Amino acid sequence: MFDKVCVLMIAATNLTLADNAVILIYLIGTIAIGLYIGRRMKTGSDFFLGGRRLPWFAIGLSLVATDIGGTDIIGVGGAAYSHGFAVANFEWIGCVPAMIVGAFVFIPFLYRTGVYTVPEFLEKRFNSGVRVVMATCWLVFMACNLGIMLLASAKMMSAVFGWDENICIWVTAGLVGFYTCVGGLAAVVYTDMIQCVVMIGGCLLVLVLGLIEVGGIANLQEKLGEAEANRQAIANAEGPQSGAAGESALTADDQGPFSPPSTNKTAQSQHAELILPVDTGTPFPWTGIYFGLALILSPAYWIGNQAIVQRSLGARSEFEAKASYVWGALLKNVIPLIIAVPGLIALAMFPNLPDGDQAFPRLIGELLPSGLRGLFVAAFLAALMSSIDSYLNSAATIVSHDLYKRFVNSEISERQLLTLGRVTTIGLVAWAILFAFLLKTMSDDSGLYAIFQTLMSFFQGPALAILLTGMLWRRATGKAALIALLAGITTAIALYALNQPTVYEALGWVPLFKIQEPFLYFSIWAFLITLVLVIVLSLFGKPDSPKKTQYVVGSKSI
Amino acid sequence: MRMTLLHQFGELLRTTMQAVPLVAVRCLFVGTLLALLIWVWRLPNEVTSPPGGAKRWDENLKLGAALALLIQIVVYSLL
Repeated sequence: MFDKVCVLMIAATNLTLADNAVILIYLIGTIAIGLYIGRRMKTGSDFFLGGRRLPWFAIGLSLVATDIGGTDIIGVGGAAYSHGFAVANFEWIGCVPAMIVGAFVFIPFLYRTGVYTVPEFLEKRFNSGVRVVMATCWLVFMACNLGIMLLASAKMMSAVFGWDENICIWVTAGLVGFYTCVGGLAAVVYTDMIQCVVMIGGCLLVLVLGLIEVGGIANLQEKLGEAEANRQAIANAEGPQSGAAGESALTADDQGPFSPPSTNKTAQSQHAELILPVDTGTPFPWTGIYFGLALILSPAYWIGNQAIVQRSLGARSEFEAKASYVWGALLKNVIPLIIAVPGLIALAMFPNLPDGDQAFPRLIGELLPSGLRGLFVAAFLAALMSSIDSYLNSAATIVSHDLYKRFVNSEISERQLLTLGRVTTIGLVAWAILFAFLLKTMSDDSGLYAIFQTLMSFFQGPALAILLTGMLWRRATGKAALIALLAGITTAIALYALNQPTVYEALGWVPLFKIQEPFLYFSIWAFLITLVLVIVLSLFGKPDSPKKTQYVVGSKSI
Repeated sequence: MRMTLLHQFGELLRTTMQAVPLVAVRCLFVGTLLALLIWVWRLPNEVTSPPGGAKRWDENLKLGAALALLIQIVVYSLL
């Protein structure tokens, strides 16, 4: 990941006064919004849910901005360059259907329950054990990711401004921490709104100029065909096990005993395809995309991720909460066009880059004139900041509501909650700085990043199974949910461990999965194990009281 | 390097899935989106409109949701 940040230097080395002015205006605007909103903060509800006064259009833009991190802009373009357009599945079938179902079924239901967090709902429906496990999973994930994102943004700013990396960590943490601490969720959502517009504008510019440069869509397709043929010829000349340019991400996992000998060839001839066969050499076989992404990870993310759901709980009304998701789904249709297609344009223009992650920055360097280059760097910063601020605010909400208010002081006043939220935010910023420095001292930081990305797939599948059965099945019981949740998480971790070369080699096994980064498959199995266990254990156990089962979709009391 | 029961089960699933033609897979993707579109279209107006009913055509969320799904159907039919 840090390579992605470092390669942005290519685009940033020639920043002019106009570029720097654009970046400065963006940063000052962001702080000003945080300060303006912070003046209206009076209660904990203001801080954590924006006083439930947030408009649908701002939430919709914020949903999209939070979902797209700065490294995603570089990474998705790079994946499109290396593996083809199938990466767009993550923004299309991996978002839109779940957002539409969420808009009309789950989000309005959660809104009506009046909860602040998803773990809080799980306690109302099941028990405090389920709440604690889920709150802990989200907190650990968010807190670790905060440090990683902070280090990424610091490396980026270090590259752009030539500042010392340590100072960059402090500056980024201070900037994002300041407006999140002062303005709470409202500041996060309104700054995200601007960040989303800047991000879409910056990437759209790259798309339009890139298409003009290659001579339109028809010429792009023709050049892509040539580039693929060229890659295939190189791959054939170098032998079946060799990777062509841009295929550096293919790992040892792909060269396991079951891998087809023509893995790279297969991947390269599928560059414009969205639906790839089971034995594709990319991490995107249709089975993983449909069963793992569309049916499990995506619904888990859009109806169960605290950082996502929290902003819709802050909507002005139930209708606006629904509208924000529909608006977000409409916007999601555009995202692959502006972040994945540039990767394909880069392939047509520079077919022999050694690393796919250089695709987007190389395009910026080639296509954007002075001033507009600054706009793209601002877009990159916007994407980074919009993710950091959301995780910061949501992690603070979990600490304050699911841990402190629930287990330490349930009588805390709204005014004290506001103070607690701000203090927790500062504490999380301090932790993120510490963790970023810790990561910086480790030599293999990119491996750590991959582990933390996989971490989310460990509990997303089980979390979805619990949430779905809890919301849709009156017979599901709290005891069954807790046991199944822990078993599901253990399953995902065990599958991950068993797929590590050191483990399966020590056991004398062949690898369990044959594609690289099989996190989509971990989530499928963890989801299924959890679902089966909840159903079986619930049917054998004593039903929960009506006080618990009233929190089921369709219940007349909610 | 040996294979366990878990591997054999996985291999069976893999072989089964490999036997599904990509045309059928495309139908599965598009069919899912189509089913969702029909579901959205059949939702009662009170679920998709503000309290008191939609006063303007764009206040009914069915249209936005249907548009988002229609774009997806076109995309997955063509690409």
